[in-house]
Amino acid sequence: MGSGSDPGLRLDQVITKPARGCRRRAFLPAVIARMSDATIIILLSMITTGLMLGMIFSLVAVGVTIIYGSIWMPNAANGQFFLLAALLLWSASVSWGLHPALAALIIIGLSVPFSYALEILLIRRFYDVPNRNISYFVLSLGITQILAGIFSITYGIWSDQFQLPPLVGGLTMLGPFPMVNNRLAAMLIAALLLVALFTLLRYHRYGRALRAVFQNREAAALRGVDVRAVYRMSFMLGNAVVFAGGVLFACAYSFDFSIAWTMAITAFAIMIIGGPGSVLGALVIGMVFGLTQAAVSIFASPTIAAFSYLGAMLVILLFRPSGLFAR
Amino acid sequence: MNVLTSRWLPHTIFALAAFATPLVFSGNRYFAFIVGITLLSVLWATGMNLLYGYTGLMPLMFAGIAGISAYVTIGLSAAGWSFWLAMLVGSIAASLVGIVLGLPSLRLRGFYFTLCSLVIQSVITLAFVYFVNLTNGDVGISHIPLPELPGGGQLTGTSYELVLAALTVIGVVVLTLLVESGFGHRLIAIREDDGLAETLGINVTRQRLAAFFIASLFASIGGALYAPYVGFVSPRSFDVLVSLNIWLMVAFGGRGTIWGPVVGAVILAPLPFLLQDYYMIKDVVYGLLIIGVIVLLPAGIVGGWKRKAAAGEPAPDVAQKTAPAR
Amino acid sequence: MTLLDAKLVSMRFGGVVALSDVNVHQEAGETLGVIGPNGSGKTTLVNVITGHLTPQNGAVLFDGAPLLGRKPFQIAAAGLTRTYQSVRVFSELTTRENIATALLDAPRPLPSDGVAETAEWLGLTPRFDARAGSLTLYEQRRLEILMRLVQQPKLLMLDEPVGGLSSAEVRATINLLSELKARCTIFVIEHTMKVIRELADRVIVLVAGEKIADGPPAEILSDQRVIEKYLGSVDA
Repeated sequence: MGSGSDPGLRLDQVITKPARGCRRRAFLPAVIARMSDATIIILLSMITTGLMLGMIFSLVAVGVTIIYGSIWMPNAANGQFFLLAALLLWSASVSWGLHPALAALIIIGLSVPFSYALEILLIRRFYDVPNRNISYFVLSLGITQILAGIFSITYGIWSDQFQLPPLVGGLTMLGPFPMVNNRLAAMLIAALLLVALFTLLRYHRYGRALRAVFQNREAAALRGVDVRAVYRMSFMLGNAVVFAGGVLFACAYSFDFSIAWTMAITAFAIMIIGGPGSVLGALVIGMVFGLTQAAVSIFASPTIAAFSYLGAMLVILLFRPSGLFAR
Repeated sequence: MNVLTSRWLPHTIFALAAFATPLVFSGNRYFAFIVGITLLSVLWATGMNLLYGYTGLMPLMFAGIAGISAYVTIGLSAAGWSFWLAMLVGSIAASLVGIVLGLPSLRLRGFYFTLCSLVIQSVITLAFVYFVNLTNGDVGISHIPLPELPGGGQLTGTSYELVLAALTVIGVVVLTLLVESGFGHRLIAIREDDGLAETLGINVTRQRLAAFFIASLFASIGGALYAPYVGFVSPRSFDVLVSLNIWLMVAFGGRGTIWGPVVGAVILAPLPFLLQDYYMIKDVVYGLLIIGVIVLLPAGIVGGWKRKAAAGEPAPDVAQKTAPAR
Repeated sequence: MTLLDAKLVSMRFGGVVALSDVNVHQEAGETLGVIGPNGSGKTTLVNVITGHLTPQNGAVLFDGAPLLGRKPFQIAAAGLTRTYQSVRVFSELTTRENIATALLDAPRPLPSDGVAETAEWLGLTPRFDARAGSLTLYEQRRLEILMRLVQQPKLLMLDEPVGGLSSAEVRATINLLSELKARCTIFVIEHTMKVIRELADRVIVLVAGEKIADGPPAEILSDQRVIEKYLGSVDA
């Protein structure tokens, strides 16, 4: 059962002597001691789901915010990219029998030339256009339509629901709560990725160049930063991160086409609320969204959850458009 | 007034075409229906043009407003109201809802406004699905009362198309009058540079609000008429993809011109019907069209043509020095 | 008669202090010059006074009426207008359309013969039907001024009106501005000292958001502190 923060206090002492003004430290073990296994399972399930979702949301939101912060492109197609990665992983492991881990790496790797091609064909031409964020937004809506159409005539014919074989089998018990190892593995990988990303952006030369460009591209150019190279790399990195999110999601959950739209809205909501261009904001708000979603879905329908995301996004757009973590 | 030389010549031609085409196709309901939908699309595109082409705002909740009007009109006429009265009330209600939802976002510019309108549209669609008692949810409503005619009987078939034609012609005329008025000039200034417009004394928010209300009227009147004409509505009939389709007609045809969106609607509205056999690639085609417009034809067909016709001297390098004027 | 009276204006952007307790006082008919290094808050001051920014602190009175909290278009309607450091006109519209736009909601619009006369005086009549973006920089600056003049403002705030102009054009602009003094009160930010010396009745010096000097040009331009903090690096 849960451990109190004061190891010296034995459980029976607390339960048999409920003094008035009971110290707070002793309260938690008492509460947990009183909870049934079923409640603990629900709680842990909620927390682990929340963490898993939160990390995937954060990954995708970070990818989207990097691209928006650097080249000023709101990528509405991020949901379809997410789905694309998930579908490709499904094909790779179910149809071609590749081990999911290997396939995942290949798919994320493939996203780089994919992004590069998009950049050359469509994205590059708008770099110096004022108000390009609207053009990019609509452009990305076009890409969304194309991908959605392609999916419906390919994967859509084969299946409604997609499920991958697990990366690792078995269960680990967290107290009375059985945690699927597969999800545990996905969570760990997601956490590692987020830490790596954060470190990259805060300490590595590229990360500093990216932040310089975020803030003021003319000043960054004057300091010797190759702005167009930063743009290119941001686009590739951002999309790779979204692909990573899709791949991890596919490992942990079964999915259908609706995740594209849901993820796109969620990612935008997170980006706007956290502050466009703010990686920290994307991380924090992403985790908040994940945990909230896990909690809310126990008590209310997914529609209510969707309403609340949209509502939160509206509130921020109207009252604090620069987001909560704005520089 | 000599029609042939007046500036209303294109409108006269358009009116003649708008009334003649349904009559020409009156024997073939399939083509006549396409004509009817095209006319409705011209009305909608004209409304969106006011906001997108002339004010510079991209309102993705346009379809949502049309939907609110449609559902309200259906509800009222099913309850026994005269269709026309129901349409009046529904249109105004929808436009007011549009204002309430849209008002705070009018302070936002460019992309943020678009994103906000996308969110509002999503909320509206979700509401349509959620409030099943009012809208029948995703199942949709199929028994839609037809508008009644003053002499008795119902508006249907070719007469319906003629009514649509009349409203569309009126819509285009109204847009023309607005655009050529002081109001239109203010909107254009706001579109070109809203900060500068405000410095010059223009109340940007109030003008946007007015444009928004008028565009909403176009959306909502169209929505009320759409429902009995098509005979079926569901939340999908008024979702963000529909707003995007109308936007595409405006952008493709040429925003900021009177006739661009008309051309765009005339070309794009019949497409889904004519490409029925290829419905599977519809999304891909639309996606390509959207990308094509953004990348290749930002001014649209009519806009691009006008620009070529008016090509003057190219802008010299701003730092270039010339002899002073005095 | 006091036209503009700004007291203790302070403006911060996040952690950066742009203006710190700045006081500005201008009489009607008195030409006020504002000088200072780049980033010292001159344009920010104009943005605050014209309603584009909300300061954390301060009070601004124009013609006796408070300005803070009002929107830019209301301030324009009260007769206060400004131009921009990088010239700003509606580049896709013609010169004529630009002028027409300025007349739309002008507080006291000039009648059409007055407009034609002023346009003639500014040498813009031959360019009436050209796209404003195709005008030279000097022509665009004159168009900017014309658009303000047709509104008959009481106070015209000019932000570096001769930036980017040749010395002949600068000379012509100085002559233009001195004739302008008869029509409205002028507040001018400049880096080119010639302009300040010849036009200003009084000069304010802003450095790092603070007003460090306020007085007649001769005095200011020879003030040791001012020379040290700013003038040493500027072309006079």
